[in-house]
Amino acid sequence: MKLTTVLATSIALMPVAAMAESKGTVEGIHHWVSESEVKALKVITDKLATEGYTWQDSAVGGLSGANALQALRTRLAAGNPPTTMQFLGYEGLDWAKEGVLRPLNELYTANGWDKALAPQLLAFVKSDNDFISVPINMHRQNWVWANKAVFDKAGISEPKSWDELIAAGEKLKAAGVIPLAMGDESWQILEVFEAILTDTNGPDFYKKAVIDLDEPTLSGPEMIATFDKLRKVRGLVDDGFTGRDWAVATGLVADGKAAMQVMGDWAKGEFLAKGLKPGQDFLCFPTPTATPNFKFVIDAFGMFKLDDATLTAGQDAWAKAIMDPAVQKQFNLIKGSIPARSDVPVDDFDDCAKRSFADRETAVANGAMLGGLTEGFAAQPQFAGVFTDVVSKFFVTDMSSQEAVQALVDGINNAR
Amino acid sequence: MRSALPFRDKLSRWLPRLVLSPSLLVVFVGVYLFIAWTVWISLSSSQMVPKFDFVGLDQYVRLWATPRWHTAVANLFIFTVLFLAITIALGLLLAILLDQKVRAEGFLRAVYLYPMALSFIVTGTAWKWILNPDLGVEKVVNELGWSGFVFDWITRPEFAIYCVVIAAVWQSTGFAMAIFLAGLRGIDTSIIKAAQIEGASLPRIYLSVIVPMLRPAFLSVIVLLSYISIKSFDLVLALTNGGPGGATEMPSTFMFSATFRRNQMGVGAASAIMMLMTVAAIIVPYLYSELREDRNVH
Repeated sequence: MKLTTVLATSIALMPVAAMAESKGTVEGIHHWVSESEVKALKVITDKLATEGYTWQDSAVGGLSGANALQALRTRLAAGNPPTTMQFLGYEGLDWAKEGVLRPLNELYTANGWDKALAPQLLAFVKSDNDFISVPINMHRQNWVWANKAVFDKAGISEPKSWDELIAAGEKLKAAGVIPLAMGDESWQILEVFEAILTDTNGPDFYKKAVIDLDEPTLSGPEMIATFDKLRKVRGLVDDGFTGRDWAVATGLVADGKAAMQVMGDWAKGEFLAKGLKPGQDFLCFPTPTATPNFKFVIDAFGMFKLDDATLTAGQDAWAKAIMDPAVQKQFNLIKGSIPARSDVPVDDFDDCAKRSFADRETAVANGAMLGGLTEGFAAQPQFAGVFTDVVSKFFVTDMSSQEAVQALVDGINNAR
Repeated sequence: MRSALPFRDKLSRWLPRLVLSPSLLVVFVGVYLFIAWTVWISLSSSQMVPKFDFVGLDQYVRLWATPRWHTAVANLFIFTVLFLAITIALGLLLAILLDQKVRAEGFLRAVYLYPMALSFIVTGTAWKWILNPDLGVEKVVNELGWSGFVFDWITRPEFAIYCVVIAAVWQSTGFAMAIFLAGLRGIDTSIIKAAQIEGASLPRIYLSVIVPMLRPAFLSVIVLLSYISIKSFDLVLALTNGGPGGATEMPSTFMFSATFRRNQMGVGAASAIMMLMTVAAIIVPYLYSELREDRNVH
């Protein structure tokens, strides 16, 4: 008797307790579904919970966020936008132009967030004069991941130029190791291409060719030379690269079957998951260049325009949770990236992340902070798509560099 | 004075229309209205979200100036012709062989039909590994001792589309076989006996008598396989993901990436309309001639 009473009372009280605790819910669409991503997201949602808001998770994984954008389109068409959504590249700016995002100017000025972010990064969170999203992390795309044992055995150290890297590759090939691990997926090829493009021609050339899409630059001799170099890099890749996932390629490096991989710092998690230590078992260094640059990829959350004041207050809490330095630190320790805020202390991060911090500081000072083309932070999708098509076709066929440059120029003009 | 129809008669006149109307409405909205909507989008300057302005045939011009679209169209024709021809030939052969009163026919039939139970995603993934030179057929044959054996079509842009054909044929042959087998079972054995009495050889009987009598089965197989080949989106996505270097792009994959990944909704809609027109150009005259002849026969 007594027990049932207790149970009944506790059940009756449960919703009351929950309601008293929660000031409202924050519902967000995102495409973080892997184990480490979910763990990292929990850092933000825990912080949100301490502010008294409940997180309602609407994860839509797959196709690098294309599925999530589909979900958003449907929700907007039905007049039922989510409270917040994860954006990559120009996505946030594009939706801001459609007038569905809420300006966050007051939050930015009141909390001094604009001063905490690198100026080049602001271009992706600010539409005209309005701040429209809050960035949580910054991945660096132009990394080379290498197996230290393989490097030591072949007597190779960190290459300082793409020519050195190619020469080292020939040595490794002779030693029976795959010099460069990659797959034939078009985005993996594009990552290598844009690294060569920037590293051999400098950040300003990248801005002119890829961001401004300047036709004389795109059809110039530097572009032909870039494709020539990519052709040489093709020689460093084994023939089993068909349909190889990037993480499988990372595994080849970790197991010593391959020497290097050009990949963003999301590859670090694959090494760490195998219990390997940076500096001891694997090496990380930026893609080789005389003109150092930092290719960034950020994840940012935008807030949709909503009439309900409780929901707007929830958005404020969500934005504050994301921009909290402690949250940014904890989130990025798990995710493998570095905080989007430039003012979070570097201690507790590993050597690769520390190098990212230092290189970012230099790049910001030198104007060498660049958005990554492959992940949609340089050219708009319709132009980035042309780069993808031409570069991936060039890589797997015997297309000449001149033909590739011509196809690139024609394709860009057609998409304009 | 006209007498009102009794209620029962009224009901019996209206009931069929009443019962059909919801499905007609769904078909009208879900198919024809959206076709019209897509036509409209293809004539607009839509990029990320639909825009309802009018730019004439700009998007079609842009579409036909895209090399990737040319690859996609060429691939669709190569794929459809080979896929239909090989699947029908193999399916018919298997059906004829199974029709010879073989032992364990039920078991064999199930074996050949099984691939049909898989989704194209599974087929694509399995064949991706089978065709990979470092994991699949080439490796196995090399390890068996024939070290010079090379089968790397999936890595070569000029051959990769044939890999898609192989996987699709593997999946659909059993299905064609089942329909042909049903057709064969429907043929009166007395016709075959009559032909035998006339002194016709067995191949002759099949070629001149039985195959022509399978016409309805051919119609079903051709219609069903052609629409499989036009919508062959998942198979390409799983097997090659459009690669290597865009060599196995299909109109359906092109449409998806233009519309949903590259902010070129207008171009995507234009490609969808081109696909619709292609299907209509092939299927409509064929259906028309088949159905008309059908009416003449009966």
